[in-house]
Amino acid sequence: MIPGKAEKPVLAALVGQPNAGKTSLFNVLTGKSTKTVNYPGSTVEYSTGNILTKYLQNYTLLDSPGIISLNPGSPDEKVAVDILYNHPKFGSPDFLIVVVDASQLQRHLLLVKQLQMCGFRIIIALSMLDTLIKKNLDIDTITLSSELDCPVVRVDTRTGKGVPELIDIIKNLSLQNDNLLKPATALGDLTHAQLIGIYNEIERVTSLVINPADDVEPGHPNLARANSQLILLGVQRANNYNECKKLDANSLRIDKYMLHPFWGLISFMFIMALIFSSIFWLAIPAMNIIDGLFGFLASESVLLIGKNIWGNFISDGIISGVGSVMVFVPQIFILFFILGLLEDSGYLARGAMLIDKPLSKIGLNGKSFVPLLSGFACAIPAMMATRTIPNRKERFLTIFIIPLMSCSARLPVYALLIAYLIPKDSFWLGGIVLLVIYVSSIVFSVIIASIVNRFSNSVFKTKDNSSFILELPTYKMPKIKNVISNTLNSSYIYLKKAGLTILVFSIILWILTYFPNTEPSVPAGNYSIEQIEEMVAHQRLQTSYAADLGHYIQPIMFPLGLDWRVGVALISAFAAREVFVSSLALIFKVTADDATLQQSILLSMREAKIESTGQLLFTPATIIGLIIFFVFALQCMSTLAVSRQETGSWRVPVIQLIVYSGIAYILAFLAVNILRSFGIN
Amino acid sequence: MKTAANLNFGEKVVISEIDFTHPSSKRILEIGFTPGQEIELVNRSLFHDPLAFSIRGSIIALRKNEAASIIVS
Repeated sequence: MIPGKAEKPVLAALVGQPNAGKTSLFNVLTGKSTKTVNYPGSTVEYSTGNILTKYLQNYTLLDSPGIISLNPGSPDEKVAVDILYNHPKFGSPDFLIVVVDASQLQRHLLLVKQLQMCGFRIIIALSMLDTLIKKNLDIDTITLSSELDCPVVRVDTRTGKGVPELIDIIKNLSLQNDNLLKPATALGDLTHAQLIGIYNEIERVTSLVINPADDVEPGHPNLARANSQLILLGVQRANNYNECKKLDANSLRIDKYMLHPFWGLISFMFIMALIFSSIFWLAIPAMNIIDGLFGFLASESVLLIGKNIWGNFISDGIISGVGSVMVFVPQIFILFFILGLLEDSGYLARGAMLIDKPLSKIGLNGKSFVPLLSGFACAIPAMMATRTIPNRKERFLTIFIIPLMSCSARLPVYALLIAYLIPKDSFWLGGIVLLVIYVSSIVFSVIIASIVNRFSNSVFKTKDNSSFILELPTYKMPKIKNVISNTLNSSYIYLKKAGLTILVFSIILWILTYFPNTEPSVPAGNYSIEQIEEMVAHQRLQTSYAADLGHYIQPIMFPLGLDWRVGVALISAFAAREVFVSSLALIFKVTADDATLQQSILLSMREAKIESTGQLLFTPATIIGLIIFFVFALQCMSTLAVSRQETGSWRVPVIQLIVYSGIAYILAFLAVNILRSFGIN
Repeated sequence: MKTAANLNFGEKVVISEIDFTHPSSKRILEIGFTPGQEIELVNRSLFHDPLAFSIRGSIIALRKNEAASIIVS
């Protein structure tokens, strides 16, 4: 390669089974140049990066999602396989680095064999050798390399040991594109007998290469080989592999409790309780700080720019808009962090196994567990996470009920409504109300899932084999550094996706509430400046586009005891639920002077009256009605868009929208009117 | 006919064949359950379903109905 000349970079892809150590190796090879990207046309996320120039010049590395076989069993595996053939942006990889877990050699070699059958040029990176060495065994890489007819290199993905050797192999790789790839679909046509044949061959190879650790002297591979040739008794070789197959005793011991009929359930409940309580209690102080900060910025910017159209735009349109996004970042972060810890430790697979039977009763799958759990952060990543569910009907049903999981965008709404409902000093009561909301949303999602499941043939128009096959990985201490960097990454992607929509919508909403009557005239009289300002703002809103829009929906809002202003807030909440809060702030012309945003909204809410009747707008009954509305309503355009993308048509999102909005409206109506008939206004 | 679905806790057996008519049978083979392999029931979930087996040095969880396609001797 001539330095300075821009050439098409060489493309390498990392391939491997889940938990093989692919991502650690990726981080070692690319340093911090990692970039998470979506597979074009889908949302499966994977990383790309340039291999550090201290190793190699002009090499790009793709990190593909983990796969068990080239014969994909679920939508996410299908994308992972597609990446290997022809990446729409980068083309076909020039070679693959297959990460093989040495302690699970046989199962991981299946993928190697399949890749070779399809004609890929591969290098094997043997990871997790330390686990094997602990069992006093080692792998004769030279024999393995000659048996498999491809380079094999030992790497320690944690320390980076073995990477220079890997780089040497890459440098010496001939990249002439002489052979054509066979499509992976050919593997789907393999008969059962052929599959068994591949495993027989793998067993033959592994019996040759696994030796007692003492025989493999570092730096003297030939000696090791000579020794292994001395062991003529096949029995001894079989024994070596049997040793290798011994399970991790710690994992078995931990699982005695984690999967125990009683203690397993208790620890499952405990872990779930821990997740939710930390979402609430850990996040609240951070949320208050962010909320206070943006309230302060909003009022400062008005002081700085002046109370004109620009000052108003910057403070109400932009700063409050951005603030309403930033305020729930702590929750998203905490949830992603805990999910990351659980995944890295190996617990998530156990959780999925524990809950598979109960979930299968309502037409779901144990693999629905992680997506449903993520649904408490945000429905968008949750729906994408359903790609790990192989069965279409179960996947669609999971997507169907994800919007019922109380996503973090609903939390600012609940926080505001609950703060209105309960006395200021009984903080604990708010927690209990919130708990009731969460528990009932789970109960209702179970009910709705089982009802929809009965009609699943007509709703989803799909039916196939239900299956639950999942590896339970060895328990290990989570690597906090990796978990944090993944969490930051997910939070960033989330912010980028949701944040922009929310910002755009709060600007649109600001325009709707500010125009066309930007400088309304107010009756002359002996008023103070503040009174005039208030009248101007009031008049402006009364004659705004938002008011016009709101009057159309007034008849719909009235049965819920609400008026057009709440209607406008509900419509704008379609951008994202938490926009409800910032819309209320805009519509009730809140100016955050000294208090936090929430306190000033509450103050204006307490004074708001329905214009035609003069009744108080927000009463315990209407607030409870609103809470119920938010539990069910699918108030989120992004969710609908992702649902359409993931199910492949508008059918499911449209049914979701109709069903959830219908239930939300009817139940809110019933709640308000039943409460009123009992004398609770 | 004894299958992996009716093993006792901790019971070690050898797979004699896989029921190829089961819709998950190819996946079951791919993940390592092939005739001649020794398996052990190492864990059971709530309601005794799914079941976790030791196979080729890994722990794999399967539903009972999928385990029933693994015929053992």
